[in-house]
Amino acid sequence: MEHLQVTDLHVEFGGLRAVDGLSFDVKQGEILCLLGPNGAGKSTTLDLICGKTQPTGGSIRVNGVEVSRLLEFRRARLGIGRKFQVPSVYKELTVVENLSVARSRRPGIWHALTRLSLRPSKDVDNILELVGLTEKSQDLAGNLSHGETQWLEIAMLLAQDSRLILMDEPTAGMTIQETQRTAEIFRSLSGSHTLIVVEHDMSFVRNVADRIIVMNRGTKLAEGSIAEIETNEDVKTAYLGH
Amino acid sequence: MNSRFYYDLIALAVFCAVIFLGVPALMSYDGFELNTFARYLSLAIVSMALALSWGTAGLLNLGQAATFGMGAYAMAMHLKLKVSDGLPDFMGWNNVEKLPLVWVPFESLSFTLLAGLLVPAAVGGLIAIFMFRARIAGVFVAVITLAFLVAFQLLVIEQQGFTGGQNGLTGLAPLTLAGWTVDTYSVSFYYLVAGCLTVALALGVYISHSKFGLILRAIREDADRTRFFGYNVATYQTVIFCVSAALAGWAGMLYTLVLEFASPTYMGVSFSLAIVIWCAVGGRESVLAAAVGAIIVNLLEGRLSDVFVEGWHMLLGIVFVLVVMFMPRGIYGVIVDVVRRLNEARRGGRQDSAEDALLPATIQTNRER
Amino acid sequence: MDVVFNQLFAGLSMASILLIIALGLAIIYGTMGVINLAHGEFVMLGAYATWALQSFAGLGVLAALPLVFAAVAAVGWVIEKLMVQRLYHRPLDTILATWGIGIILQQAVRLSVGAESRFVKGPELLSGNTEIGALVMSNYRLFVIAFSIFVLVGSWMLMTRTEFGTKLRAVIQNRGISECYGIESKRIYSITFAYGAGLAGIAGALITPLFSTIPTMGTGLVVDAFLVVIVGGLGSLIGAASASVLIGEATALLSAVMNDTLGRIAVLAGIIILIRFRPRGLFPSDTRN
Repeated sequence: MEHLQVTDLHVEFGGLRAVDGLSFDVKQGEILCLLGPNGAGKSTTLDLICGKTQPTGGSIRVNGVEVSRLLEFRRARLGIGRKFQVPSVYKELTVVENLSVARSRRPGIWHALTRLSLRPSKDVDNILELVGLTEKSQDLAGNLSHGETQWLEIAMLLAQDSRLILMDEPTAGMTIQETQRTAEIFRSLSGSHTLIVVEHDMSFVRNVADRIIVMNRGTKLAEGSIAEIETNEDVKTAYLGH
Repeated sequence: MNSRFYYDLIALAVFCAVIFLGVPALMSYDGFELNTFARYLSLAIVSMALALSWGTAGLLNLGQAATFGMGAYAMAMHLKLKVSDGLPDFMGWNNVEKLPLVWVPFESLSFTLLAGLLVPAAVGGLIAIFMFRARIAGVFVAVITLAFLVAFQLLVIEQQGFTGGQNGLTGLAPLTLAGWTVDTYSVSFYYLVAGCLTVALALGVYISHSKFGLILRAIREDADRTRFFGYNVATYQTVIFCVSAALAGWAGMLYTLVLEFASPTYMGVSFSLAIVIWCAVGGRESVLAAAVGAIIVNLLEGRLSDVFVEGWHMLLGIVFVLVVMFMPRGIYGVIVDVVRRLNEARRGGRQDSAEDALLPATIQTNRER
Repeated sequence: MDVVFNQLFAGLSMASILLIIALGLAIIYGTMGVINLAHGEFVMLGAYATWALQSFAGLGVLAALPLVFAAVAAVGWVIEKLMVQRLYHRPLDTILATWGIGIILQQAVRLSVGAESRFVKGPELLSGNTEIGALVMSNYRLFVIAFSIFVLVGSWMLMTRTEFGTKLRAVIQNRGISECYGIESKRIYSITFAYGAGLAGIAGALITPLFSTIPTMGTGLVVDAFLVVIVGGLGSLIGAASASVLIGEATALLSAVMNDTLGRIAVLAGIIILIRFRPRGLFPSDTRN
């Protein structure tokens, strides 16, 4: 079944067509990787899906519900989670506090007013264990290293428990071991979660991707498995500029 | 239980012991001295109200004095009607012949008390919805609230026939609360104000440590990120603005009782700035610290303005600038730092500095340039 | 009809003063993102400096202008060095710190000169009126309007046509890279702040013949000037100019229709609504988000 359906999506920034008639579907539980040269419109596509940017045309459906006109928080409540290219964690909050904010299955005021901020929670402990931040749970997020910050944001998305997760360069700045660990986590998420991953690291993509879409100048250039993409002539031209 | 919540509760208990037992004993239960102190306590409420919106949610409300003034005038209108025979004296001087419709319900004390809380909350809420739906933030919140304050004060002074204009509302009756005529120079009145402050602080401490408070701190740091977790940021900001405005109104009502008049200076820019100063000196991150800041600054003003009659404001300005520059987190920040250092020193001796269990969330004082 | 024209002239006169004050604020904000709430006190210092020069040295308002500019700019320079420079990374705190500076300056004047009103004579040369039909325009006010345009054009030239201006715009766009190319952003900031303060001083000097000089005169002015800057679009000179005319005229006309207070309230309400729907002002600048 289709989790996300993007149809004829357009957005313009002052005359520049950043995304230009893009259409694709993502199946439930699939890991889709978006590739493409710089400025191809990959991050913009994620921005359009999560609501950071408003499209100038086209449709975005999540589980059949049209979301392209909804505010960001409404889309988040429909189960769309987003990890940003520049790790966006709350630097002045501790690691557990970050996770507590991310646990937002009930984001209403009343619920928030009638709960203390830090109740012990098995889920949070498990997630901290998974990303290896248990030791640092009381540290300020601002004091974490770059790799740890990336982990924390991934952990926050796990805590948020969105079914459709948009990842913008999740392994940037990670060591090889950390990247491998991330790939393992992503594989364990597939099936229960749908992931769209923008990534440049090809070995990581080979590891995790069920399907790949290559973008160029705001449109879809090629689509298929890793093997199909690697032999595609158009893709070579786009990357190498011949 | 989380340790920071635990420390705040202890601090609140100590604070209550001081204002309920220590202060009255120190002033040998003298009604006149206690009346002065009751004034500081009522100002502490408006200072802690600002800490909720500014310290917790990062919304610098420079118009806090407007909502404070609304509470003060609500109470003053009630007390003015109690001494007036139908029509308050100043209305006669201004050729107002019939009691204006807005004044009529203030005959009732319950209406007055409700209005003193709900009118500021409603006005604060309207401004908040207006601003936060449009995602106005940072400096613009300060500007809009300041402009509102200036406009509101002008309006109150302008509408002389309804508000007493520049003179405000004077010659008020004492409050009668369920048969008890409140003598503002009595020990029991002091306890009434102290009780109000305690309730307000307990509410503030609870809010700060609720998930609501945590979400507000998250919004303060990165509102956009918080939206992507599914929180309706505008609603959270609006609610804290309303709560803060209601508390300011409450403080205003008490302030009118203490001073026995209401004046448009309560809604002045300089009064609003004073609130910001108290809150900054005490520490805007903690409601308790903000309240203590208000008490300390006012206490010093009471003592020092006799010594340096004219120089006091100058001194206050200098202290304020120094606090903003070198102690951006106020007295609270200094205490937190000292406690943390002590802990580190102690644990350093035992060679296990792995976990910073005590006072975990200390915000970096010097953010990287 | 005559009333309307006279009111329009009054509005323009008010706009010209607002403009000179707002220009300083706009330049300071546009360059370093600092909201200088002590700006009103710089105006007040300018006014007192003019009064002092007239009472003790017998200098007229016009002759005093360059001296006042230099003196207030020097005060601004010192304040920037001592304080503002340390707060660039904390924009909300600059509001508070400059507000505190405002109190200090105000009290310093109150303690040294006294709280009573001071009066300054306008220049003899410009004492008369120019009349066109029923429209009566004071020569001095005409001069202030012309002078404000001169200051606007001068500031614009400074920002766009000089080497200093080029460096300034480089620092605004990217401080780090500019420093790599050997531009000392700290020095640029100090000079800009001093220049903005100097403009406020000039505004203070120019208004002395029109208003009485008291220590608290800056408080009301800074709120207005600040709204002008925001309405115009932070950091935009053209925006500041159009917003001062808009606000000056709106205040003058609405005051004539209702009364002074209600006119002012209506203008404030209008500004609040305008900021709500155009938070980046009428002429948003692209250089700073």
